[in-house]
Amino acid sequence: MFFNSLPFAIFLPIVFLLYWFIFSKTKNTQNAFLVVVSYYFYSCWDWRFLFLLLFSTLLCYFTGIKIEKSIKDSSRKFWFWLSIVFNLGFLAIFKYYNFFAFSLSEALNNIGIHSSPLLLDVILPVGISFYTFHGLSYVIDIYYKRINSEKNVVDYALFVSYFPLLVAGPIERATHLLPQVKLKRSFDFEKAKEGVYQIIWGLVKKVVIADTCATYANAIFDNYTSMNSLSLILGAVYFAFQIYGDFSGYSDMALGMSKLFGLDLLRNFNYPYFSRDIAEFWRRWHISLSSWFRDYLYIPLGGSRGSKLKQVRNVFIIFVVSGFWHGANWTFLAWGSINALYFLPSLLLGTNRTNMETAELHWDFNSIKVFFSILATFTLSCVAWIFFRANTIHIAFDYIGKIFTEGTFASQFLQNERYSYELLLLVLAFVLVEWNSRFKIEPISGKYSWLKMALCLLAIIALGTYADYKEFIYFQF
Amino acid sequence: MKKFITLVAKILLTILVLLIALDWLYTSVYFKNQDRGKVQYIFNSKARNYDVIILGSSRANNHFVPELFEKKGLKTFNYGMSGAHLFEASLMLKLMVERNYKIKTVILEADLGLCNDQLADGIASKFLPYIHYSEIIKNHFSGQKNFNELYYIPFYRYVDYDAIIGFREMFFNAINRKTSHLENQGYHPLLNGKPGNMKNDLTPLKPIRNKYYEEIKQICKQNNYNLIAVMTPMCSNVKGMDYFEKANKIYPEIHNLENVVQGDQYFSSCGHLNDAGARMFTAIVIEKFFGEE
Repeated sequence: MFFNSLPFAIFLPIVFLLYWFIFSKTKNTQNAFLVVVSYYFYSCWDWRFLFLLLFSTLLCYFTGIKIEKSIKDSSRKFWFWLSIVFNLGFLAIFKYYNFFAFSLSEALNNIGIHSSPLLLDVILPVGISFYTFHGLSYVIDIYYKRINSEKNVVDYALFVSYFPLLVAGPIERATHLLPQVKLKRSFDFEKAKEGVYQIIWGLVKKVVIADTCATYANAIFDNYTSMNSLSLILGAVYFAFQIYGDFSGYSDMALGMSKLFGLDLLRNFNYPYFSRDIAEFWRRWHISLSSWFRDYLYIPLGGSRGSKLKQVRNVFIIFVVSGFWHGANWTFLAWGSINALYFLPSLLLGTNRTNMETAELHWDFNSIKVFFSILATFTLSCVAWIFFRANTIHIAFDYIGKIFTEGTFASQFLQNERYSYELLLLVLAFVLVEWNSRFKIEPISGKYSWLKMALCLLAIIALGTYADYKEFIYFQF
Repeated sequence: MKKFITLVAKILLTILVLLIALDWLYTSVYFKNQDRGKVQYIFNSKARNYDVIILGSSRANNHFVPELFEKKGLKTFNYGMSGAHLFEASLMLKLMVERNYKIKTVILEADLGLCNDQLADGIASKFLPYIHYSEIIKNHFSGQKNFNELYYIPFYRYVDYDAIIGFREMFFNAINRKTSHLENQGYHPLLNGKPGNMKNDLTPLKPIRNKYYEEIKQICKQNNYNLIAVMTPMCSNVKGMDYFEKANKIYPEIHNLENVVQGDQYFSSCGHLNDAGARMFTAIVIEKFFGEE
């Protein structure tokens, strides 16, 4: 049941009405109802996954209490590591086992030891990376005494399984969401209106930008050997907008619908393609994951303290792990490593916190520099996205090599029976809208909101891609 | 909450108004053009006279060269469409009858399409802009499972088939951008293909008594059209070549011309002749069926 599907369009209003008209009496009825519908929502993918979600929830709930109650340090450590090992263990089995088994077998074959990998016939439970990270952050925070354990199992279950964030984030923190869950929510018209606007804008990003870009990006990437230089460049640009529209569109819808239930989720994207350097890009892209790795991996490793060598090591670890979080494939590791390389100059020169404010352009010399910095950062991220999108690292290098060696910059007719350049106008219009609204959460609110909303609805209806339906990319992670 | 329900109601009303307005706009645009495809070319036309028309899939579109018929003095148009099934061929013929086309002979490519009486999404959707203005189209689609949505929800058909009749196609219609579909009197010549393409597997296909083939036979009989149903050539490296014999057992009147052109040099892909092959095949067809005229 995807956010942009007909079943969800029926599910959401029903849940909304029941929540505010039947189950709004107390915070407990609100939370219990949301847990039930969240479990129903999750079961729509595969009811068997419910056991995994339930186990992960109960594991973190009970170990959290045990950690807090343990007087002895050894006991605290025991419950802490029990939770970590089980959580990461599930992730390892479902997401990474086959990759490692296959890679090991390949490595052995390469050195002449013939082996066939013992692969598991399991499917990746949707959202496992997201709810595992919810649980991990909760347990780690309790262990380091940043928060107290949650005693109400329903409240904790809602924190983990709340349906808007269950399958693709944002990755919430107990410090942010649990306090909201502990209070009874009252209906707030302004918040709900914001939520509706955000859902509509998220839909524009998904069905108008991401899915349309996907048809072109797929036609180019899947046939890259017969593409010319211009098409290959456009393919990378279209994929950049596909993944941005797809994931940030999903996040917008998640944040928007959560507001309908009176709960604020963490912002996940802040106009990342207007970043002036890679450090800024990573403060604006998938913020909930970046900040998770910063708080639970980078800082414990020493962060930017210690020798330069140690700092470089920490940067590489965080980016490689972040790449690996996305999926069990060498291409994701390469994507993470490339971003680490991009990040290094800022780290070594101490300029990684230079661009903290949102970029602005005026009619002056500095704005030319800003404009080209944005363009350069976007170009670098497009190169990295090629590794993210390609099926193998070899293909990614081949793709990039062909951009420089093919040498033709004419329009090309693609397999989707479209010309490669056709989408540029739409992408440009989207960039302009995003630029004009970069100080807001979405572009609809403010002056002429009714007109802007009608235009968005028009775009969704008339310009959306529906026939060639595409799932949200991040659901696979 | 009252304010919120009002907001949602206004949004729903806006969506409804947009759906109705867009439906009207798109449909109006599709009505004013004849140049972008064969469906429009028929729907937006008045009576035409033909000695021969050709119907079928790409195996008709790429295999019959009207130019060669014309040399014989036969006014011909190739209405074959890549991807079409007999569902669409039948509907095209019905629309021609409605528009009082004078047709002497209908050549129907009836071979691989016999194995199902489903519509072909990519082609059938081209009729949908006109569904509210043609009883024939409405009735032809009425048995489809999504008929109610297509017919009663404004703009649904343009959303459901956006890749075929959505914004892009509507826009090109509005600016009168032409396609090559109507060039060479509808015939689309193919170039030489890659050697690797010269194989096919027909074993999953099972010919059936096809509802739309029966319809076409009936229409031709009622209107005194001479129907010539043919099976067209395939390359030699095909598994399940007995498909054609099986089809002939069900419909003995279909002329099996599958093997009249031999040699991979005449094929663009296993199921499609190249231009040289198509010319050779058309010459054989003319000789066989129009030799004495």
